[in-house]
Amino acid sequence: MGGGVGAGDPPSRCGPRLLLRLVPVLAVLAAAGAAEASAVAGSPAPDGTAMGAGTPPSPGGTASEETRLHVFTLDYPHVQIPFEITLWILLASLAKIGFHLYHKLPSIVPESCLLILVGLLLGGIIFGAEEKSPPVMSSDVFFLYLLPPIVLDAGYFMPTRLFFENFGTIFWYAVVGTLWNAIGIGISLYGICQISAFGLTDITLLQNLLFGSLISAVDPVAVLAVFENIHVNEQLYILVFGESLLNDAITVVLYNLFKSFCQMRTIKVIDVFAGIANFFIVGIGGVLIGILLGFVAAFTTRFTHKIRVIEPLFVFLYSYLSYITAEMFHLSGIMAITSCAMTMNKYVEENVSQKSYTTIKYFMKMLSSVSETLIFIFMGVSTVGKNHEWNWAFVSFTLLFCLIWRALGVFVLTQIINVFRTIPLTFKDQFIIAYGGLRGAICFSLVFLLPSTVFPRKKLFITAVIVVIFFTVFIQGITIRPLVEFLDVKRSNKKQPAVSEEIYNRFFDHVKTGIEDVCGHWGHNFWRDKFKKFDNKYLRRLLIRENQPKSSIVSLYKKLEIKHAIEMAESGMISKVPSSVSLSEYHEGKIKPLSPTEMENMREILTKNLYQIRHRTMSYNRHSLAADANEKQAKEILIRRRHSLRESLRKTNSLSRERPAAAANTKRFLSLPKNTKLPEKLRVRNKTSSRVGDSSDSEMDATTTVLNLRPRAGKILREQRLRQQRPPSELRMEWKNEVDGSQNGRGEQQEPGSLPQPSIGFRQPLLTRPRFGTLSREDLTADHGSARPTPPPRLVRQASQGERQRNKPENQPY
Amino acid sequence: GRQWQELPPGKRKKGERGSGFTSEQIEHLHRRFRQLSRDQLTIRKENFDSIPDLEFNPIRAKIVHAFFDKRNLRQESSGLADEINFEDFLTIMSYFRPIEMNMDEEQLDRFRKEKLKFLFHMYDSDHDGKITLQEYRNVVEELLSGNPHLEKESARSIADGAMMEAASICGPDQVYEGITFEDFLKMWQGIDIETKMHVRFLNMETIAHCY
Repeated sequence: MGGGVGAGDPPSRCGPRLLLRLVPVLAVLAAAGAAEASAVAGSPAPDGTAMGAGTPPSPGGTASEETRLHVFTLDYPHVQIPFEITLWILLASLAKIGFHLYHKLPSIVPESCLLILVGLLLGGIIFGAEEKSPPVMSSDVFFLYLLPPIVLDAGYFMPTRLFFENFGTIFWYAVVGTLWNAIGIGISLYGICQISAFGLTDITLLQNLLFGSLISAVDPVAVLAVFENIHVNEQLYILVFGESLLNDAITVVLYNLFKSFCQMRTIKVIDVFAGIANFFIVGIGGVLIGILLGFVAAFTTRFTHKIRVIEPLFVFLYSYLSYITAEMFHLSGIMAITSCAMTMNKYVEENVSQKSYTTIKYFMKMLSSVSETLIFIFMGVSTVGKNHEWNWAFVSFTLLFCLIWRALGVFVLTQIINVFRTIPLTFKDQFIIAYGGLRGAICFSLVFLLPSTVFPRKKLFITAVIVVIFFTVFIQGITIRPLVEFLDVKRSNKKQPAVSEEIYNRFFDHVKTGIEDVCGHWGHNFWRDKFKKFDNKYLRRLLIRENQPKSSIVSLYKKLEIKHAIEMAESGMISKVPSSVSLSEYHEGKIKPLSPTEMENMREILTKNLYQIRHRTMSYNRHSLAADANEKQAKEILIRRRHSLRESLRKTNSLSRERPAAAANTKRFLSLPKNTKLPEKLRVRNKTSSRVGDSSDSEMDATTTVLNLRPRAGKILREQRLRQQRPPSELRMEWKNEVDGSQNGRGEQQEPGSLPQPSIGFRQPLLTRPRFGTLSREDLTADHGSARPTPPPRLVRQASQGERQRNKPENQPY
Repeated sequence: GRQWQELPPGKRKKGERGSGFTSEQIEHLHRRFRQLSRDQLTIRKENFDSIPDLEFNPIRAKIVHAFFDKRNLRQESSGLADEINFEDFLTIMSYFRPIEMNMDEEQLDRFRKEKLKFLFHMYDSDHDGKITLQEYRNVVEELLSGNPHLEKESARSIADGAMMEAASICGPDQVYEGITFEDFLKMWQGIDIETKMHVRFLNMETIAHCY
């Protein structure tokens, strides 16, 4: 897989002229050399010659008669293929960056739409310049190089548990639903073709069925990208996800079946049965190959601990091997690579080192992301050209039937499957599943794969497929988000305030988890238990290195330990910009709803620090990595158990904050993973530095880092009562003063109005820090808050004094 | 000993009527009940200690408490029960039934209120029908207790922030006097609790182990 994307040669068909057009687009690469290169290359290999499919570049194109030594030579044909591939990938990646520059854009329009638009633009440029159809992505490239990374990624990050819990429904939708769609669309289109007025009578039933099977491949990318931003229920999520994955495989199988039927002269009954048998063999065979190679991969990684560098490679090699092996036997490669990834995932993660683990994750995401981007761009590029045949009837009926059969299929199949489900799928769910049936690159590639000798109307098929893809990706893809939102908030006419909502939701999750635990329904599913036992007894022993800890959770902890430490340090680095909004609000002393920034901060604290419950869904994202639920929970427990580590980190952190951030950054990362001894030293150093009188930096820090919402909230609550009595006083106090106050006289007797500045914001939600600032604040609020309803000042003072006592021996330099 | 006693049929019928569970579900819950109670007729608080998964739940105490809260068991009385029998156990579980497709508006509304009442009782720990600021803070503190390096200060500020939001909905006085159930209902308007607050009760043989 390593060179998977790069090994293809889509751009080789583009010819040098294309490069000329590409160069201005790639402003980054607008070096004179490149332009010159293409100009030079243009002369020896004029348009037509380099355009053939897979034509090797003619080396030594510059036929020079002289043999003198050149000071400077240009041999573009020598590097043409890799050069152009690189440029294409670069272009695709740059386009991707471009969309994410404006943060609102991806949330309005799915990325796929934008990529297709870029592709269309490019295709138009090429078409305009050369007056011939731009290159079409060859299907070999698609199926051998671009598709596997995407499927691998989906399989590897598949939330396994959830997937198997809903396996029945997913399977039902994927297999029966796809058959339903393929046959339904095929037959109804055949009906349309019989009407001679449309001029489609030469399209046979089999061809229609074939067309129906390829057009029913659902492409989930856009839907999933939308779904993960909106909180759809986990059932729906996994259903759409799982269906799309299996659906792709089944479509390909069905497609091959019908294609071979089409190429046969006569079809006997036995062929039909053979076809059905073939259907199962292709699917099951693919799965078996995948599982086998998955175990081999796991077994291999058992021995890689001495050569960590190539460890990640095995994951990719074995999974790609499973794909191409399956393809070799004409089995389903998609099934193979998915099952391979799902099989090896668990064991590999335990065997490999933390770094390899991260590498695997990132590399996989990178590959799949790049393939996906390339696919969409090429889809756009390939659309432009002369390989179309427009027929109103065929195109519009295709679109219509796609929508109708999908909706009908989901509706009917859900009625049946709902009988067997604990939580039935509501109408809303059904609607979203049906509406989420976006078509994508698979249809596109399959239709280009059609042999034009057997299918004289191939161009018509291409046009129809493109229309369906564009309609679903653009119209449905853009509207599904508002639709999901609309359906989700249908009941509520008032928006729940953010913070309490978060609290309620969390509370709720915990209650639910707790009740589930009480019910004992957690470890449900009989087969799962059986498998677990078998797994523990045999598989684990065989596949996982012996000196690994027995329990997977323990090993996960071990891995997370360092990761978490780094994360804590990272989150410590993030300092919030003080929000001027909250500041001005504060000055006015009015009751206002909390500012968005504050909300955001509060929510962030809540999300970062609450006990992570076992989420059944882990969010899947094609483009970024999310910590999975298991990991989160383990991390949570880790937090509790690693108090000492944290303690030391805190010191490191507060120390490094005294320096410029950049310096601190490098330092911390270097120092972190290795020594646990370091903290001792640091503590000493920390003490010294403050003893030397390193002004008030560390203390200042303390002030800034305390989450100072409470004082503000307290104040506003108070003000609400005392608004008439005491006008809001000037608050132009610098925070340094406050610190000084806390340093000198423990800061009790400040002016009543001089409450801590809310503008400082809350940094570092994860790390505790010295409490000087808090002290002063506590005392402040306590002392002048005579009219405050809660809590009694005395109590607060006591509490804070208690804290002071606690903190003193630890890091009080004076 | 994994010999479960069968539930007497009469009792099963009764439970089925009262809680809306199917008889298979009741049977399984009954097995679980006996497992937890160690084949006794009632469950005491200590029995919940034997559930390993519950250990890390930060609001564990509140959850266990809710099982013994008489308000949740019988609508009239308040206070804490020492032990609950299987019917009580079913009553508590019935708060977590998933929504049914064929419910009409009125049923839905009642369903929703029941669930919210249960939650409300979890917040209102002193049984006075109001969630005071202090109680709210306690909840948030408990929620955040999973993270030892987060100060109580932050928890309190968050609670106060949330309380202020409550005030913005229900009027400022609520902040001092506490949130009543009516206010609570108002606050939950935006969250469709009836689809969220449920647990999957299974019909299969799926009881987890406990030690």
